[in-house]
Amino acid sequence: MVNFLQLIIIYAGIYALMAIGQNCITGYTGMLSLCHAGFFCIGSYATAILCKDFGFSFWASLPIAAIASGILGFLIGVPTLRLKGDYLCIATLGLGEIIRTVATNLNPVGYQSVPRAMLFGYQFSARNKVQFILLIWAFVLIFYILFQQLAHSRLGRAMAAIREDEVAAQSNGINVTKYKIGAFVLGAAIGGVAGCFMTAYTQTVNPSSFTFMVSVMVLCMVVLGGMGNGKAVILGALIVQFISYFPQLVGLSSVIPAQATQIIYGLCLVVLMIWRPQGLLGRDKYRYGDPRSTKERLVGFFKRNPEKKGGRA
Amino acid sequence: MTTLIQYLQYFLNGITLGAIYALIALGYTMVYGILKFINFAHGDILMVGAYTGLLTYTALLGDSTNGAWMLIAFFLAMLVSMAFCAILGMFIEKVAYKPLRNANRLAPLLSAIGVSFILSNGAAWIFGTQSRRFPYPFDDTPIVIAGLSITPHQILTIVVSIIMMIVLTSFVNKTRMGKAMRATSLDQPTSELMGIDVNHVISMTFAIGSALAAVGGILASFDFRVSASMGTMTGLKAFVAAVIGGIGNIQGAMLGGIILGILESVGAPLLGIPSSLRDAIAFAVLIIILLVKPDGILGKNEREKV
Amino acid sequence: MRMKNVLVLALVALLAVFSVSAGGASEEDANVIKIGFIGPLTGDNANYGIRCSNAARLAINEINEAGGINGMQLQLIAEDSQGAVDRAISSYEKLAYTDNVVAIIGPVFTSPALAVAQRCYEDGIVMITPSATHKDVTSVGNWVYRTVPSDSLQSEVAAHYFYEVLGYRSIACLYAMNDYSQGLAEGVEEIFTALGGTITSMQTCMVGDRDFRTQLGEIRSTNPEAIYIPNYTVEDAQILEQASQLGMSIPFLSSDGFSDPEIYNLAGDFTEGVIYVGPAQAEASTLLSDFQEAYSAAYNGDAPDSFATNSYDAMYILRDAVTRVFENGGALSDIDAFRSMVNDEMKATDDFQGANGTINFAANGDMVASQGVYRVENQTPIYLGSFQVVDNHIVQVD
Repeated sequence: MVNFLQLIIIYAGIYALMAIGQNCITGYTGMLSLCHAGFFCIGSYATAILCKDFGFSFWASLPIAAIASGILGFLIGVPTLRLKGDYLCIATLGLGEIIRTVATNLNPVGYQSVPRAMLFGYQFSARNKVQFILLIWAFVLIFYILFQQLAHSRLGRAMAAIREDEVAAQSNGINVTKYKIGAFVLGAAIGGVAGCFMTAYTQTVNPSSFTFMVSVMVLCMVVLGGMGNGKAVILGALIVQFISYFPQLVGLSSVIPAQATQIIYGLCLVVLMIWRPQGLLGRDKYRYGDPRSTKERLVGFFKRNPEKKGGRA
Repeated sequence: MTTLIQYLQYFLNGITLGAIYALIALGYTMVYGILKFINFAHGDILMVGAYTGLLTYTALLGDSTNGAWMLIAFFLAMLVSMAFCAILGMFIEKVAYKPLRNANRLAPLLSAIGVSFILSNGAAWIFGTQSRRFPYPFDDTPIVIAGLSITPHQILTIVVSIIMMIVLTSFVNKTRMGKAMRATSLDQPTSELMGIDVNHVISMTFAIGSALAAVGGILASFDFRVSASMGTMTGLKAFVAAVIGGIGNIQGAMLGGIILGILESVGAPLLGIPSSLRDAIAFAVLIIILLVKPDGILGKNEREKV
Repeated sequence: MRMKNVLVLALVALLAVFSVSAGGASEEDANVIKIGFIGPLTGDNANYGIRCSNAARLAINEINEAGGINGMQLQLIAEDSQGAVDRAISSYEKLAYTDNVVAIIGPVFTSPALAVAQRCYEDGIVMITPSATHKDVTSVGNWVYRTVPSDSLQSEVAAHYFYEVLGYRSIACLYAMNDYSQGLAEGVEEIFTALGGTITSMQTCMVGDRDFRTQLGEIRSTNPEAIYIPNYTVEDAQILEQASQLGMSIPFLSSDGFSDPEIYNLAGDFTEGVIYVGPAQAEASTLLSDFQEAYSAAYNGDAPDSFATNSYDAMYILRDAVTRVFENGGALSDIDAFRSMVNDEMKATDDFQGANGTINFAANGDMVASQGVYRVENQTPIYLGSFQVVDNHIVQVD
């Protein structure tokens, strides 16, 4: 039971990374992309191939996977200059499917027995979940802080401006092209990092794990938590993973029909959306020019001081 | 010469395949045109339509092998299925989408994904996970002309999709309800002020879109088989077809469907690559089309945001 | 801040449910031997998982009615893998750590099987797959067994049969890009070519494709004597029907995926004359027909495919192993030692008589068996005999 809860936390951590990436694209910059399965796929494959065929360590493959996904994000980002809204959504969805189809055609079996992540001689195995949780959530925390900084920097404000009104942003001298591509590259790179950790945990990569439902799940996490809100998307990832693994956690999965799990999941989505269409925590209110220093803000986050709470929608 | 006939056959195959996509895309595009909202559950309504049609047809037919009665039973089954799906569509709209009409655009999208989960898994629960065959209500011996073969059910699919396209176009352009729909699509609050019952119009849109999905589902099940998951990929492809043609545009959906079908059929052998990459080709062409014409082939150029 | 209160309340409610059910689970009956099952129970290929779990459950019910093992009842805990790796891993974690199963039947498909095999090897749990045919599955550690022939074994018999018995010299393949179909098609390609035959065309499709007319057109232009289609049921049914729509009258050859009786509902008369390689049958025994009758009676007239039969056999092989563990003094209180003893006894399996005939395991856990060949006539498979390849020649065993 405890073991399974730990597993959910690990999966939630991996998906939280993806949700942070998706949030950068959809939440901050307002582009509806359904391609995170593709980024996830590239990251997973990069780690699997580098570690297994080229003898890289997990840590060496991590930045390469991030860069590979980032390049893909760049390639996807370029066409987005011309596409808007639902057209962008369907184009990115198409790209995700292309990546999966090509991966399936290259090798439908995928890669197995990928070497584990090591740190100072310590091996992160699937049996020692607590260490893996620490590892993955440390990364979630790092990326959360980085993206929180980003959201409140010049870059983040430019992205928010593009989301709110592209024409106005452009006329205010914001280079829309640059920031849109930047958002895609960053979001994709984090998706690739998530893929690395998935490979490190399951030690197996298979193209059938990267269907467009994964992209949909990630988007769900972002919308469910609250778009453009760093904390909210992590909460969204936790909740979505918790809902989808809840029957297995409490041992209901072998009692109720298998489809019931999925039906409950669908019901939860509908009910949560009707109840909180803006997401559970809603959008982060922009504090243009937050007067506090980074240190104060960090302290504020951990102490949860009222000043910060007041700022939330 | 043989190669020419071979490619002509691929082309013909592509058109018949595309007709199915077109038929489903019509429903997609209809709902999108009015509400500017991707109804992800459309593919699953299609699946419900196929199951309803199949069950009604087998129930009506019983042990009868009378040719005329088979045809009548088939069209009755289609009507029952259309009615059922129309009601289901209106119900889903009332429950899952109406409360979200004024929310941000992603909320109804997610709600639709939830509905899609419920429908497809509910069907798998009730009907099981195996695929079923929809028996042909007529003799389906292929017709061979000059080395090219086509079957009666494929001709039926093409004819029905063209009829549906014409009926739908004239409905939207000529009737009072059609005008109300176009007004709602342009400006909801103003239409309301002009005395249009927007709720009723949206309900009707969903009813018509879902009834179209039922027809599409039944005709698709000849080629795709009836199964709980039949709607997912078919729905996605139909959506792609609608986008290629310019989503919201009825002729565009037809055009997009046919283009997609031909691409899938001819693309791989023409490029000399494995056929398992056909989806990749179809999606790649989709992206290229969108890059050249960001609003689809027949789409109007309008600016929009998430 | 109302939002926050609601959230806290929701969390508390969830935790309450969680602890209640945790309490419920801990009152487990110590007198139950738990067997895990992992397979796709939802999604596109769920019928394979459902049939296999049904067959295993049927075997368990029969064993329980006959008094169980050592006075203890068996329980099957079936978990859904959705055919995906991460789900299969989570199902494994639940079975291995929450339920403390003694052994696992499944996973049904190769990729989840490879992922779970790795974990089974690390944790020391016996895994018996009824349907993962890829050659690498049994090479992961020595805790993995299968009651299905590996694709190399099946494709060897198939290629030899097509070449030597049927006398074909040129065939074409149309296969789906997945581990199962690709493994078989490439295996047949390799051996058929080595025997001196020609593969005129290797056409591929994706699992879930429904239109194969382009591939069939390409194959037709190369004029083969027969077409080999080692795919899942729905794809095979579509291929047969569309070939007939295109006016093709080339004979079709297939694999054990064709043993699913569902094919006759889906493709009807188009199946006439198809020859496929499937499990061998024990001629003198009624085990197979008994199983098929019992299965139909238990599951509303649904008929089992060969993978379900494999799953049924796997359950009985496991019963024999567990029985011997108890005879040797194993006790469920020390689950790790028990699991390890089950592995030893699995290795000691000797001439097991199952629905699929005599089964032995090779040192790596692969099934050692001959292959049956069937021809479809009037929508019923006719058994043509069982075959083995000895010294590069096909030999009929019975």
